Parts: sequence; C-alpha cells; structure tokens
Amino acid sequence: MADDIVDVLIVGAGASGAAVAWSLADTRMRIVCLEQGGWMNPAEYPSTGRDWETRAAKEMHPSPNVRKRPTDYPINDDESPIAIVNFNGVGGSTILYSAHFPRFHPSDFRVKTLDGVADDWPIDYFTLEPFFAENDNNIGVSGLTGDPAIPRHQPPLPHIPMGRMGETMGRGFNQLGWHWWPSDSAIITRPHNGRDKCLNLGPCNTGCAQGAKSSADISYWPMAERAGVELRTHCRVREITVDDRDMATGVTYFDADGVEHHQRAEVVIVACNGVGTPRLLLNSTSARFPDGLANRSGLVGRNLMLHPWGLVVGHFDEPLKSNFGPQGCCILSQEFYETDTDRGFVRGYNMQITRGGPPVGTARAGIAQGTIPWGEGHHDAFDALFGHSIHLGICCEDLPEEHNRVTLDPELTDTNGIPAPKITYTLSENSRRMLDHGSQKGAEAMAAAGAVKVQPVQSPLRMAGWHLLGTARMGTDPERSVVNEWGRSHDVRNLFLVDGSVFVTSGGVNPTTTIQAVALYIADAMKRNLANLFD
Amino acid sequence: MTNELIGSDNPLTTEQRDVLAIVLDLIVPASTDGRRPSAADVDVLGHIRATESGTLDNLGAELDRLDAEARERHGEGFASLDREMRRALVDDIRAAEPSFMRNLAIQTVTCYYQDDRVLEAIGLEARPPFPKGYEVPSGDLTLLDPVRKRGRVWREA
Repeated sequence: MADDIVDVLIVGAGASGAAVAWSLADTRMRIVCLEQGGWMNPAEYPSTGRDWETRAAKEMHPSPNVRKRPTDYPINDDESPIAIVNFNGVGGSTILYSAHFPRFHPSDFRVKTLDGVADDWPIDYFTLEPFFAENDNNIGVSGLTGDPAIPRHQPPLPHIPMGRMGETMGRGFNQLGWHWWPSDSAIITRPHNGRDKCLNLGPCNTGCAQGAKSSADISYWPMAERAGVELRTHCRVREITVDDRDMATGVTYFDADGVEHHQRAEVVIVACNGVGTPRLLLNSTSARFPDGLANRSGLVGRNLMLHPWGLVVGHFDEPLKSNFGPQGCCILSQEFYETDTDRGFVRGYNMQITRGGPPVGTARAGIAQGTIPWGEGHHDAFDALFGHSIHLGICCEDLPEEHNRVTLDPELTDTNGIPAPKITYTLSENSRRMLDHGSQKGAEAMAAAGAVKVQPVQSPLRMAGWHLLGTARMGTDPERSVVNEWGRSHDVRNLFLVDGSVFVTSGGVNPTTTIQAVALYIADAMKRNLANLFD
Repeated sequence: MTNELIGSDNPLTTEQRDVLAIVLDLIVPASTDGRRPSAADVDVLGHIRATESGTLDNLGAELDRLDAEARERHGEGFASLDREMRRALVDDIRAAEPSFMRNLAIQTVTCYYQDDRVLEAIGLEARPPFPKGYEVPSGDLTLLDPVRKRGRVWREA
C-alpha cells in the first residue's frame, strides 16, 4: 500500500490541509493525507467532566512543550518572548482555537503600496472573497451582516450571543465613538451540516464537546472523506523526497509503530502551518537542496510573524455573567486597525472582547497577580472578579522581519528522532509601540464601559503564539519568495504550500479564515491549471 | 480535613497533615456566612496527589520546614501557634521564598473551585458545562445604530 503512487499527497490534516483535501476531491484524483496525530473524541473533552478546569490546564494545554501528547513535537522557543502554541491531530490547531473568525481587510494585502512597509501580496482581498464565502458556508460561520469595517459579506448563521458583557462593552465603545461589531465566529448558532448548535459551554479552547465549534475534524474532514479522500492518522512525515529533476517524488514517514515508509506522489502539498511547514522543508535536505527543500531563496523559515498579543482586564460592579458564552468570541473593535502615523506606528490592531474567566481560572489568575488575597479577604475579592470581568485582547499586526525565524534545533528531536524547530524572535519597536497604544486605548474603553478597575497585563502575553505566519511567503520573484502567487514552489514544481507560512504579511486579526480562504483559492488554481500544473 | 484525605496510604505524617490543614485554612478560610467551606475541608491533598506529582514531592519537606521554623521562633510547633502567629510566619516564608507557597495556593484554589459546595455557593450548578450548557442573551442590536450611522471605515486598497 505505502509505496503505491498517489495523485496528491497532503501533509497535515489541520485547517488548510482539510480545506484543500475537500476542494481537490471533486477532481476524482487519488488523494491521501498524512497526519501525525489521531482523531479526537469530543466525548472525552474536558468540559464533559467535573474536573474540566484541571484537565484543560494539562492535557489540553496550548503549548506542546507542556501538553506533551505522544503526537506532539517539542518546540524550542526559549529565544522568543512569545511561546509557540498549537495542536497536533486531525483538525490541527482548530481543535483548540477560539474560532474568532474576522477576515483580513483589503488593505492587509497592500501594505507596501499603502504604507511603504513590508511587501504587497501577489493576490488581493477580492480575489479571495469567493473563497471566504465558500469557507463560511462549508464550516458554518456565524455573524452579523453589515460590519462597516470590512467589505459587505453575509455570514450564513446568526451572530454569537453578546450577553450583558458584550452590551456593556458596546456602550463603552459608543461613548467613545469607536467602531465595534459582533464578531464573525466559526461556531454554529443553528444546526448546520448535521451538527447541532452552540450551547455556550464556554471553554471552546479546550475542544468543543458539543461539536458546535467548526474545527476541521468535524467540518471539512467528514465531507472530504465522503468524497473519497484517504486520511491516514499517526503518520509523521520526516522528509519530502525529490529526484534529479527537482520534482518531489513523495514523502518518507513513520507510522504509529515507528516503522518507516515511503509514499510516492505526483503532487505534494504541505499544510503544517508556519512552524511545521518550514521544519519539514528544512529537514528535507538533499544534494540538490542542501539548505532545505524549496529554499533556494534562503527564505524558508524566515519572516516569522506571531501577532504580539496584549490584554486589558476590566472589573465591573454590576454582575455581567461574563463567565458564560464562547470564551473567545463576542464582539470586536477595529477602530485602530488601519494605519494612522500620528499614533507612532504603522499598521494596526484588532480589539477582541473575550469572556471573563471560569471559577478556577479566575482564582488562579487572581492568586498569581495578587488581586485575590489569602485569608479573610479572599471571598470578597473572588466575588468582585468572577462574572464581573471583561477581557480585551489586542491582536497586533506583526510585520515580517527576516531575523525572526524558524530553524532546526541542533539537539532537540521528536519521538521519532526528527529534528525539532527552534524559534528565534524579537519584538520590533513598531510592535512595542502598537502594544502600548492598544493597552492605553483598551483601558480607555474599559473606563468608558464603566469598569471600576482596569488591570493591564504585561504584554506581549507569552503563551499566545497561536498565529504562525510568513515562513514560506508567496510572491512572483523567486529570489524574494518561496512559492508563487498560487502556492506552488518556485523551485519544485509539484510542491505546493497552502497554510499560514505563505502569508506575506500578518494582518491584525486571527488568521484562520484567511488561511482557509487562501487554501481554497490555491486548490481552485490547481484545478484550473491541472492540464499544465507543472509548466 | 476529611477522613478520606488522611487514609493509610497518605504520603504525609499526622503532624504534616495538621500543618497542611492550617496552611490551607490560611489560604482560603470558610466564609463568614458559612456557605463556603475552608480549603482545609476540601480534598486538596487528593487533588495534588492525582495531578501534581512535583508539588507532592516537596510537600512533606516544606511542611516540616514550616514546623521547624515555628519551633525555632516560638519554641512550639506550628499547630500550637495562634492564628496571627501562624499567619505572620507563613507571610514571612512567602516573602522570602515564594515559589512553594505560591504553587500550593494555586493548587488549593484549583481544587477548591471545583468542589460542589463552593460552586453552588458562588451561584453555579455543580455540574460540567456539557451537555446542558448555559443561556446567554443575544444582546440588543440597536446599540449598533451609531456604528451603522458612522458608515464605512475600511480602507480602500
């Protein structure tokens, strides 16, 4: 079986790999996806048990270095103020993502032209627009039509409930005259494609037991498998192999028993996102690619962008029941998203209003930060925070810098002995100023909303490196980019990259909707070019 | 502390368990209305044993150290001190070497706020989120009128 040749081999079953697999399935080609993790069982997610907060902090911890599931690989992020967080399994990091789903703006694709920084993308918002819509319908996205901060679009499902918390912040934004809107969310608020609606369980970022969060395992994969795609789990790819004509011949991988296989393929698609993809390419060395596959530009692994994240917490006298509802989805403000150079930085950030903490989360944060004391004052302090707090996240656009990069650690390996990634990242002055501005404006918003106490949290948050972008950027110049404008490697004509690694810039919002739109766009380009795919 | 907590397979001595119970009560005492128990009255040690082997490894030695410090300062064991003396001693240790006490406090509240009595006292049902979920109001969309009135804010590219 393993050495039969397949038409398309996809590495990685997360957000982008799943979308590409579904889209290409209608070609009737033989498509196989290799995923190093396994299927998750929602019945075993923490929120099904009384000890859910204990389990969430351990087995579903966002860092693979803490979680240490057998299917994880370690990441050396000691040389970065922001830790890398992800998940490995069918669905990838969508298993743990908050499902906050705002789209990139048109300006995000034209930062060089508009602001003189970084580079323009070789594609634009309106090229991706039909793929945003296709993705919204495929997975089930909720939202409210008419957001004036983004070109008009129509989310297929009603918006996530704002609750008293969202209304409170909305009034605050109104008082300041700022933009705000209910967030697009990849959470179904009505039954959709055989899945039942959201029940406001709360801890979306520990896996959704209800199946209402549109993670790739329960949204795309059932459709892709029904269409004939073969998904092999617990298959960890070590390297992509090539011939002397610079064409990929397949991949070498380890199965669950550690047995090595080679799978031949006509086309290889890598969908391991901004850390996993460069890791695999850099591990795929050969005589013709001594510095890593598809790396004649020297840019594989460079330009890592992470979205430095700030946080402001507001405490309110009135009970907001803010501990209820989808943890990461409520409303957003994009008042400071577009560039205004009077602010002292270029580009901008999104303000993401997220729910207050659950009981243990509130107490642990309060003990750690000193806002909940030991002793007699403990209960009053807890009561003042629990259900009375609103969190405002500041998602800063991170501009590409070549020195921020993914390399291979000289010593650290995964359980199969494959070299692990090492992250080297420093925060730019532009990002520092943006974070400071966001913290100040976040505090203003909290005060306007009626917060009796505003608590800034040291930024950037360390455990917040969810958005892994830019390490194999797309472009038309082979010396300045890794893949072309439709995801094909400049150096290896049957190798495609479809994940966040191809992003030229990072925008200032959670990227998964744009990652999936790009993946669907690349799949569509492949289908339109099938007759001369390798020309 | 419950009988279950101090079973024969307990890794702590009777004296250590007594000291632990006092420290837990200093972290989270019972509420004055009696609705919330003291942390000494929930199974913190069971939680630590089940989930925090690192904390458990040091626990006995740290409790012994606290007791020894009490004897050195006051000539009697920690359990024999009055509440203010206990608090002052623990505060000094927290200030000098905060790591262990901070971790113990974190584990204490992790266990405490998953206890049925505590959850009910803070207004929650003692159940997991799934499958019942929670009700959250949709929200008043007329609040968006000023945002709509202001009009488009995205930048032409």
